[in-house]
Amino acid sequence: MKTNERLAVFLIILATIGVLVGVFAIEKYRRGQLYTVQLTARVPENGNWYPRQISVPAGEKVRIYIRNIETITHGFAIPDFEVAVKEIKAGEVVVVEFTPDKKGTFPFMCTVWCSDHHLDMTGELIVE
Amino acid sequence: MTKNKLFGLIDLDTRFELTKFKLVRMLFKSRWFPLLVILFNLAIFLVILIAGFIGGYSSGNYNFGVMVVWILWWVLLMFMLVPVFARSWCLMCPFPIFGEWFQRGKLFGVKTGKLNGLGLKWPKALKNMWLMNFLFLGTTYFSGFFTVRPLATFILLGAIILLAFIVMIVFEKRNFCLYMCPVSGFQGLYSQFAMSEIRRKDPEICKHHTPKTCFVGNEKGHGCPWNLMPFDFKKNTYCGMCLECFKTCPYDNMAFNLRPPGIDLLVDTPREPKGLDEAWKAFIMLGIAIVFFLGFQGPWGWLKDMIRATTTKGYLGYIAGHTIFNLLAIPSVFFIFAFLSKLFSGNKEVSLKQVFINFSYTLVPLGLGVWIAFSLGIILPNGSYILHIISDPFAWGWNIFGTAHFPWTPVFTKYLGLLQGGIMVLFYLFSLVYGFRLSKQTYGDETQAKLGWLPILVFLTGITIVFLWLFLAA
Repeated sequence: MKTNERLAVFLIILATIGVLVGVFAIEKYRRGQLYTVQLTARVPENGNWYPRQISVPAGEKVRIYIRNIETITHGFAIPDFEVAVKEIKAGEVVVVEFTPDKKGTFPFMCTVWCSDHHLDMTGELIVE
Repeated sequence: MTKNKLFGLIDLDTRFELTKFKLVRMLFKSRWFPLLVILFNLAIFLVILIAGFIGGYSSGNYNFGVMVVWILWWVLLMFMLVPVFARSWCLMCPFPIFGEWFQRGKLFGVKTGKLNGLGLKWPKALKNMWLMNFLFLGTTYFSGFFTVRPLATFILLGAIILLAFIVMIVFEKRNFCLYMCPVSGFQGLYSQFAMSEIRRKDPEICKHHTPKTCFVGNEKGHGCPWNLMPFDFKKNTYCGMCLECFKTCPYDNMAFNLRPPGIDLLVDTPREPKGLDEAWKAFIMLGIAIVFFLGFQGPWGWLKDMIRATTTKGYLGYIAGHTIFNLLAIPSVFFIFAFLSKLFSGNKEVSLKQVFINFSYTLVPLGLGVWIAFSLGIILPNGSYILHIISDPFAWGWNIFGTAHFPWTPVFTKYLGLLQGGIMVLFYLFSLVYGFRLSKQTYGDETQAKLGWLPILVFLTGITIVFLWLFLAA
């Protein structure tokens, strides 16, 4: 009975803390392995770009994986590096690749009029 | 139609005992069942909570929490779990596991003696469905958010889990599940229609067996956590199917039976009486189904705006209208027909209250049919999203099963109205066959029963026509 009780406690820990830790650990590993940055696109009133600030190394190829999880269309641009995606439709995922050749902080933004707060849908790319 | 046969085909006393198979009985007697299923669901609900929290205010159709709870779980509940297996969701529900763990101090083993916590008795005045009626209706005030805002689903589920834990610290056993959980009430009501039941086998064994281990427990299992008397079950309404009575019965006298649907509707015993609380639950469920259908599947944008709180005034109007419609309007209309029923029957002995209560149970099959039809309108257009979210549950770009990019694909929506209409007609027929039996139970006399049945028949037919119009024409 004691062994079964211990097993049950182990399983409940696995089902709760295990799932919680597992989910975030997998995501951390995946982000480190698969691409440089992931961006989630949402109108500002629903959470805005996530994350709002992204850091990338200078002189190395950068891949930004942009996911629009909303039911409206967004766009994406980093004017300083002439990177632009005309449309990211609802539920769509796009990947942009470029090599930042200068250090500093540069704005990125949505380029499709997505809501009344569209102009606030901006973020910062930090090239280190 | 033969007297004791459903549609003249199936004998109402027909039972097929599934626990006569050794493997099933072994499973039901094992302490790992349903614990392992609960733990599995706990893990799933944790993923739902994480997805709900991370999803925040983003759209619901790409969120694991919203899709699994309001599309998959709800449809499973209304399509299979309740109509076929009664309150089988309560069997596998993970919400009360922390409270139960606290009370027993054990997850797997059996605690003998007093449970942990304050162990207060549930107030007698609240030993009915009223609290669940109000809580469920209250929950539907926010229905416009739950299905589109992941954070709203996170808050609702988080609140239920937290409340269950607190209530189980204060009150004994599973009073939260029995009298508070918003999901519990309608499952209880519609489980009366279910095609399965847990019942004792031989009444003589129970009669002479003391102490009643199914109620007080023994070293094999806990006394009924739902504070019920399994040795005298007559209907499914409050049995949470935790299976403890299978474990505690030394004579293996408990059975899990398949049966013809709906026979609990005819049960009215002193221990499990028909009541106004269950009548109102039937009205509320029917009313909510009408409002939800009009709001979520109908073409009226102004109503959607009210439910989704586009303006405060509109939202308050929705809450007021929704409340009045469910708690007053539908019962009032039904009351008129109950009054006419008594008038037509010419019966002087049966009280109007009894007529009102008894006939309200005719709404159980009809209401369940409406919800199944409504659920079809959810799963057929939106079911394909499930393939997307199981591969990418947190909208992080995962692709676990390779289906993350599966496009939105409505299925059979061309025939949706017809399917919904067909289901409505089928459950309308169930309402009729049980309705007339209820009329005979109410009035006793055959002629009075026939005359008294007419107004109720008109009411049920009217409701069905309204729904057929909504499904097929609106």
